[in-house]
Amino acid sequence: MIVFDTVSLSFGPHRVFEDLNLSIGQTERVAVLGGSGEGKSTILKLILGLLRPDSGRIIIDGEEITSKRESAMRGIRRKFSIVFQEGALFDSLSVKENVAFCMREYSDLSEEEIDQRVMDLLRTVGVAHAKELMPEELSGGMHRRVSIARSLAACNPQMFLYDEPTSGLDPVNAENICKLILELSGNKQGFIIVTHKVYDAISVAKRFIFLYGGKILFDGNRQQLLDTDIPEIQHFIKELNFIDTCKSSG
Amino acid sequence: MDLKAIISDLQDFYILSFRGLLGIVRRPFYIKDAVEQMDYAGAGSFFIILLVSLFVGMALSLQLSAELSRLGLKMYTGKVVGISIIREIGPVTTALVFTGRVGAGMSSELGSMILGHQVDTLRVFGVDPIKKLVTPRILSSIIMLPALTIIGTAVSLLGGYYIAVFVSHQSGTVYWSSIRDVLIFENVFAGAFKPFIFGYLIACISCYMGLSTKGGSIGLRSTTTNAVVASIIMIIIADFVLTRVLLYILGFSV
Repeated sequence: MIVFDTVSLSFGPHRVFEDLNLSIGQTERVAVLGGSGEGKSTILKLILGLLRPDSGRIIIDGEEITSKRESAMRGIRRKFSIVFQEGALFDSLSVKENVAFCMREYSDLSEEEIDQRVMDLLRTVGVAHAKELMPEELSGGMHRRVSIARSLAACNPQMFLYDEPTSGLDPVNAENICKLILELSGNKQGFIIVTHKVYDAISVAKRFIFLYGGKILFDGNRQQLLDTDIPEIQHFIKELNFIDTCKSSG
Repeated sequence: MDLKAIISDLQDFYILSFRGLLGIVRRPFYIKDAVEQMDYAGAGSFFIILLVSLFVGMALSLQLSAELSRLGLKMYTGKVVGISIIREIGPVTTALVFTGRVGAGMSSELGSMILGHQVDTLRVFGVDPIKKLVTPRILSSIIMLPALTIIGTAVSLLGGYYIAVFVSHQSGTVYWSSIRDVLIFENVFAGAFKPFIFGYLIACISCYMGLSTKGGSIGLRSTTTNAVVASIIMIIIADFVLTRVLLYILGFSV
């Protein structure tokens, strides 16, 4: 369970969150929506302790992480698996080495076992043929897939975090990534997806949180999102021309 | 920038410099990363250091030959060139070239890793970015800069020899015997100690600047520029301080 208790955060004069309260269950499928600069990605960084709030508390599974030292955060971070925006693959390592990175750091597996596991993961995300390529040789979609494979190799996560996993991708690739997200979480694992693409959010999530002006403007399910009369959200959805598509698809 | 921010930045810099150095003797050791950095810093800088050192040695020899000829002291060219290059010009020139090539590279590489969330990824995976990224760079700098300085100094002396013998028409034997005379412990130690400090400063400043990158490509541009400028300034200041201290310790009277 992730709990944000009156969390406030500013970057210089820009106030990102003001007394933000939020709780997300481990098996929930949540989409965090909002315009640019509303703090969508910041929420993920706060959950992982990569950023510290100015005030308030963040509690993960009953443990307050706000004041934890960096060295004590490893246990908390192992509960999550994150795919950063643009993939964040290590430029100097090949696809295979990127996926094997955590296994080499922390496991006692032999090279053969690591190779086998890497290949299994790459097959799962559908990029086994690219194992010897370097990150700069990958397309946007392949980049995300390798990043997802690497995050799966990291640990046995309780929850997945996705930061704009479909940004910059064509609709076909974006749809494939959404399918992969659903496949990986199965029926029991939850995830938080941060995106400004409403269509992608609707295709994977069950709960929707809309950030606006440092606060949660909306928190509800799909139908409530589509039926809302909050002008900022209506504008956001209509502007992207997705609402009709979503309604017609039921 | 307010005073609080300056103090906070300085504190972060000292922590990074200290923990980066401590990482050399604390597990885990990232030997492969250190070797890669040594290859980039050492082998990659080899030819540029040779070229710059050669021309610096030749220019210095040319200047001194001209001036000493006027005073009728041409036979001292080797000695003055030797002392200047071994104690001062060799270490400083090599460090400045190293800053321009390796320091800028470190800063921009780490900066782009910050902007691409690669450093955040390391933290999420439980890897200490200072040990993984900073320590190998410090280690490579404090090993490769002294090695490059020795090579650069030797090449500068060769450049000085070429000018002294083939342009200024001095005796090669006299030039080399003057160089041998100045190769005493005090001079060699004064020149050999500095690159360790310069290497440490360049790596710490460049890594700190790189890891502080904010604001996209414009931010990356300014952190790389700042890393090079700050390293150059610190090298010059450290050179003066070290010269003063070493002259005192080694018993030279000023």
